[in-house]
Parts: sequence; C-alpha cells; structure tokens
Amino acid sequence: MSDNLEQSFVKQLKENQNIIHKICRLYTNNDDAHNDLFQEITIQLWKAFPKFRGESKFSTWAYRVALNTAITLYRKSTRTVATVTYEGQKHFLSQEDYNLEEEEQIKLMYQAVQQLNDIEKALVFLYLEDKDYTEISETLGISEVNARVKMNRIKGKLKKILNP
Amino acid sequence: MEELDLLKKAWQKDTHSFEQVSESEIYKMLHQKSSSIVKWILVISILEFALWAILSVLFNTDEAIKSLHAESFAIYLKIFNYANYAVVVFFIYCFYRNYAKISTITSTKQLMQDIIRTRKTVQYYVWYNLSMIFISTILGFIMAFAYNPQMSELKYKIAHEDSYYTLSITICMIVVITTVFVGFFWLIYRLLYGILLRKLNANYKELKKIDL
Repeated sequence: MSDNLEQSFVKQLKENQNIIHKICRLYTNNDDAHNDLFQEITIQLWKAFPKFRGESKFSTWAYRVALNTAITLYRKSTRTVATVTYEGQKHFLSQEDYNLEEEEQIKLMYQAVQQLNDIEKALVFLYLEDKDYTEISETLGISEVNARVKMNRIKGKLKKILNP
Repeated sequence: MEELDLLKKAWQKDTHSFEQVSESEIYKMLHQKSSSIVKWILVISILEFALWAILSVLFNTDEAIKSLHAESFAIYLKIFNYANYAVVVFFIYCFYRNYAKISTITSTKQLMQDIIRTRKTVQYYVWYNLSMIFISTILGFIMAFAYNPQMSELKYKIAHEDSYYTLSITICMIVVITTVFVGFFWLIYRLLYGILLRKLNANYKELKKIDL
C-alpha cells in the first residue's frame, strides 16, 4: 500500500516537476540552493501527500505546498541579490520564438522580478501561472481585493526597477 | 503591463529546459531528512522541555529541607511540585496540539500563524519556568532566613543596625543574581529564535501589511 502511494507520488512529481523548478529558480540564486530547496519541497510534498485526495489537480495542490515551503519553512534566506549572474531566464526562453528586443525585455523583466521580496514573488509567480485572484488570495491567505491592489503596486514597483 | 505579459507568455511555454530530476533521484529525496524551521522548532522545544525537567530533578528540594529542619514547609513544597507537574503536562499538551496543526496545505498566512503560535507555547513555558525560578529563589531565601542557623548572624545584623545597609545589600544581591540568570536565558532565546525565525517574521509582517 505505502509502496503504491510512493510510486504514485514519484510518478506525479516527476511529471509536474517544472512547477517546483520554477519556484526554486525564483527563490534561489545558485544551483546548490536550487537543488536544496527542490529537495525540501519534495520532502514537504511527500509529507502532505496522504492528505491529497485528488479533488484538485496534483499541480494545483503542489503550488501551495511548494510556495509555503519556499516562503515559510525553508530556513535559509531566499532573498536574491540584485547583481545575480545566474541566468535563470535561459530556462524558459527558446530563441526562435522571440526577436532580440523582446528577448531582452523578458530578461530584464525576470531580473526585476528577482529583486522583489518573498511575498511579492509569490504573487507574481501565481500571476505568471495565470491563476485568478480568488486562487491567489486563498493560497496566500489575504483578501481578494487586497491581492488585486497589491498586484497593481507590484507592477508599479517593477516598472520603477526597469526605468529608474 | 506589457513586459510582464511578455514574461507571462514565455513563462507558460513549458519548454522543459530545466534539468529533469529522475524517478530514482526523487525516491532518494523522499528518504532525506527535512531541514525546515518547523523541524528545528520541534527539536529545540523537546530539548527545552527536557532541560527544565532535568533541572527540576537535579535540584532536589527534599534534601535541603531536611538539612534545614524546615519540615513544616515540606507539605507546601509538595503541593507546589504537583501543581508544577500539572502545568508542565498542560504545556506539553498545548504544544503538541499546536504543532499537529501545522500543515503546508493551508494558506501561507495560516501556516505562519500556526508556526508562531507553536513557538509561543514554548516561549510561555520558558517564561513560566523563569518566573518559577524567581519565586523559588525568593522562597529559598525566606526559608534560609527563617531556618538556617548560619543566617542568624545576618539576621542579628539587620535587626540591630541603625541604617538599612545590610538589608539593602542583601536585597540587591538577590535581585542582581536573578536578573543575570533570567537575562542570560532571555538573550539565548532572542539569539536562537531570532536567527531561526528572522525570515518568517519578515515575511509574516509583509503579508499582514497587504491586508491592512
């Protein structure tokens, strides 16, 4: 039984691992930290897995546990320094899809997102994942209206980072 | 915002360019130990409960009472001890209940609140113990003053002195010793939990600010 559970968990995690990679990439600034956080999230997901009843998609459920781990449970500071040389953006840019100018814009935008604080990153992450404000507010435990207001402020902040 | 939507488009294109973790690597990870702050809080809390339990066994008051011939005090101390055990059990129960509530599938804010509540239980436990030490020190002094033959000289001095010099020195000594003791623990706690929970507290503040 527990072997079955383990098997099912490993299979689903393997299929959905990019969600976790994206969070790790957002909250860490080098490969070692990325792998360390990935492992901690995996452990926390496994611990919570018996409570996962398949009412929602594995990915939806995993968002919450993974974000909670990155923001709250993970001991090491996840704040990234503005001068990172770590090329996080290369992982979702395939050259042929964008022209040079767009590519540069995306790169700069990603770097700006990296400079936000942990909570702001969580909001942006959920926004980028195309979650609606109901889900964002439920995931973070804030009101829907305030989630919207905060997201607008973050956009303003990002604009300022891009055009100082 | 145009740039953010551009990033969103790129973000959602699942290009699978992350270095993929294999099933066997995931299996290995499942059996690794967590290093989350919740685990650290659990370990530190168990150590704290154990430390105070050991301290109370080490400082056996029965012997002291016998040597002072203060048996009339013994019955009060017994009651005091049993009440103390009851309080400790209550604290452990509260801690366990709060600890069991911590879950990663609740909202981020709820999770933070649950962790803070669990840690506070232990903090109250420690304050309880420190105040018990404070009360015991004063009680011990009163007992020594009343029953210890070595104290008669001091008593005589205080009673027959015109100024309150000896009395004030004695009181000062007690206050300084207990303050240093309590202060020492307070400092350790600040450091320990300060380092452990710095990030959590900062993020909790940030999250609370959104709903203000």
